[in-house]
Amino acid sequence: MFSTRKASLLFALIGVLGCDIALPAPLPVGHPADDTPRAGGTLRFASLGDVRSIDPARCNDGVSSSLVRFLFAALIEFDEQGKLVPELAERWEVLDGGTRFRFFIRQDVRFHDGSPLTAEDVKRSLERALHPDTPNPSASYFRNVVGYDLYADKKVPHLDGIEVEGSHLLSIRLTSPDAAFLPLLTLPPARPVCKSAGAQFADNWAPCGTGPFQLRDGGWSKGQFVRVVRNPMYFVPGLPHLDAIEMHFLMNPPTQRFKFEVGELDFVRDLTHADTIRFARDRRWQDAIARGPDLDVYGESMNTEMPPFDNVEVRRAVAAALDRKAFTAVRPLHLSVNTATLPQSMPGVDATFQGQTFDLEKALEHMRRAGYPFDPKTGQGGYPKTISYLVYPLGIHEKTGQLVQQQLSRIGIRIELRLVSWASYLSLSQRQGAVAISPQGWQQDFPDPSGVLDPLFSSTSINATESSNSAFYRNPALDSMLARAHTEFDPERRKDIYRTCNRILVEDAPWAFTTSLHSFEIRQPYLRGYTPHPVHSYNFARTWLDRSTTGTPSSLGPRR
Amino acid sequence: MSFQQALRKHASLRWGIVLVSIVVLFSVAGPWLAPHDAFTSNPERAMTDALLPVGPSIEYPLGADRLFRDMFARLALGGRLSLLIGIAASAIAATVGGLVGIVSGYAAGKKGGSILDSSLMRLVDVGLSFPFLLLVMAIGALLDRTTVASLLVTLGVTGWLGTARIVRAKTLTIRDLDYVLAARALGQQQIVILWKHILPNVIGTLLVSATLSIGQMILAESVLSYLGVGLSPPTPTWGAMLYEGQDSYTLAPWLLACPAAAIVATVLGFNLFGEGLRDVLDPKG
Repeated sequence: MFSTRKASLLFALIGVLGCDIALPAPLPVGHPADDTPRAGGTLRFASLGDVRSIDPARCNDGVSSSLVRFLFAALIEFDEQGKLVPELAERWEVLDGGTRFRFFIRQDVRFHDGSPLTAEDVKRSLERALHPDTPNPSASYFRNVVGYDLYADKKVPHLDGIEVEGSHLLSIRLTSPDAAFLPLLTLPPARPVCKSAGAQFADNWAPCGTGPFQLRDGGWSKGQFVRVVRNPMYFVPGLPHLDAIEMHFLMNPPTQRFKFEVGELDFVRDLTHADTIRFARDRRWQDAIARGPDLDVYGESMNTEMPPFDNVEVRRAVAAALDRKAFTAVRPLHLSVNTATLPQSMPGVDATFQGQTFDLEKALEHMRRAGYPFDPKTGQGGYPKTISYLVYPLGIHEKTGQLVQQQLSRIGIRIELRLVSWASYLSLSQRQGAVAISPQGWQQDFPDPSGVLDPLFSSTSINATESSNSAFYRNPALDSMLARAHTEFDPERRKDIYRTCNRILVEDAPWAFTTSLHSFEIRQPYLRGYTPHPVHSYNFARTWLDRSTTGTPSSLGPRR
Repeated sequence: MSFQQALRKHASLRWGIVLVSIVVLFSVAGPWLAPHDAFTSNPERAMTDALLPVGPSIEYPLGADRLFRDMFARLALGGRLSLLIGIAASAIAATVGGLVGIVSGYAAGKKGGSILDSSLMRLVDVGLSFPFLLLVMAIGALLDRTTVASLLVTLGVTGWLGTARIVRAKTLTIRDLDYVLAARALGQQQIVILWKHILPNVIGTLLVSATLSIGQMILAESVLSYLGVGLSPPTPTWGAMLYEGQDSYTLAPWLLACPAAAIVATVLGFNLFGEGLRDVLDPKG
């Protein structure tokens, strides 16, 4: 008889023969007792993805944004507490009831090419990034700047709303007060670029800015790596500590982990599920683990223009039928339950608000009210048609989609999963009238509720082919509250407005909110001075390397 | 030679039949014998304290998958699908390949037939110049929605090329044999000659070729699923299970080992069976 014990032994044998079960010990630190930063060394990490551009004017993905921050400083920036602080601007003023922002630019800043940074450079860089010929996906974020429409229609050569008031004094005027405008200036398109970039976007420009690192000739091999080196003219004294940063592209997670274990990479965050668990439960690595904030929100977006989700009761039924704990089991160390619009890490979120909760009885009651009563015992009733649900291969939604299918079948909503390419998924899920329900995620650009709620739920974000409002949700009451939040400068009153928006969206359920995602990062202990940033990935601004030159790392080192 | 004699004489036939029988039995009876439904997640019972799916146990004989479903039930259902696709696609390929091979071989060198033969064989040459899996993947990627029927068509229309070559060569030999010449001399119609005299003599070759290609078809279907252009979830396919298991092999090796073993056993089984069949039907070949 082939007993379970024998079967387990056989599988264990397969594991031992085929795999490296034990993690190696962390590599040694040179001066563990000394916290004084040491200059020098090259920090190496890798990414599963690639970058299409390092030009801030056309940067539109997470990996490029990280690289852009190494090379280009911003007027203002989020600090490690998520608070806006001066960077290239020494200070700023909010004038004329929130319609004018005046920036006092530092006088000691030089571009990588040695030329000084002036207010003219900031104006030129912004105009270059917002020019209608520039392939900038976030240009419309700045539509509140005075003269934007005329400039976007090429009727005027300059943006009237950006005024140079002195060599180092710049004002930006808005058509209406906007409390959420300042965070926009931390985005890549608002980061000043060298004069060599010119006034018009060109694809062949060699990236040059005012950031802590600079790109030299041969520093970027597309699809392979980018190597940026220390900017000796960086305006923050003593920084950066590192000589260089090397970022390798298109490296799959197992390869990243192997290279990390032998010290060929110093930092990893693209780990497989199993590797995440291995590091998380190995006591020797605990001090080297960092968990990032919840930056992404995930949910099931229901098209409010298509049956059956044009019926609010069906949407409420879906929101109540999803057992979100089961979703987190797919990647327990990355996903947490999220029952409302904003991730818990967002400032001002009411942690006591329950949001959409799992309640099967309530879900069945909503289905009854919608006119689709369902008897779980007999499987009779429910919505009579099968609903198509898009998933793309190899992503997290391929797994959570199967859970949606299982869980909605319990209330009489029959889902058919449709495996399509990533490009088809993107195009169909944002096209009007194309799909009734789709899995969606949104990564906030900055920690302000407007950065999530406006693109996802404002009716102004609806368009026929590339709608970020994938639920095609229109609610005039919500629209007016979102608009009011922009003109409200009192932080407490603003929070109240967004809390009301949150309640409306939970009740109206254009999305069934499910989870939020945070990063799980691991570094070799010799990479020091690192803390995860509340907004940005790869926060290496103040890190340094202190790698021991003695001792040979063992691949099966003793456990502490 | 009786069947028992053939089994005694040809080890590959023996082992092929054993392996294929095990796979068929497991695939047919497995879903009924499985203790759990193949499509229902049960994290309460199938997740360990370490947040991983449970390994092989009495309750879950082959462990649970990443969505905490029964691997035994899913593997067996995946087997049904693999067998169906492998056998049906091979049948399509054998039919098309056999037809093209016989027609081409019979027409070769004849007045007016050479053009037909050359055209068909150049078509085969073009098709064979593409690596099989690359061709299958390209067609798979073109189809916006993959279904069992579209998979069968994809594998069938790309898998007949080699068979056509083999059957043509066999037909070329047979058509010049005395009994075929005699039939022609007696004024029999060409279609009757092809049906009554050529086909029965190439059927053995065709059968062997089809059996050998079943393994290739199963492998091709697994590759498509592994690369994410196969059937939509939650349909269990061995290729997709293999992909899901690869990132957990250090902590949950059964996720990788089960579909891998199933694919190896099935492909090996059909290959051995096909080779054994060839030895029996064409001992001189």
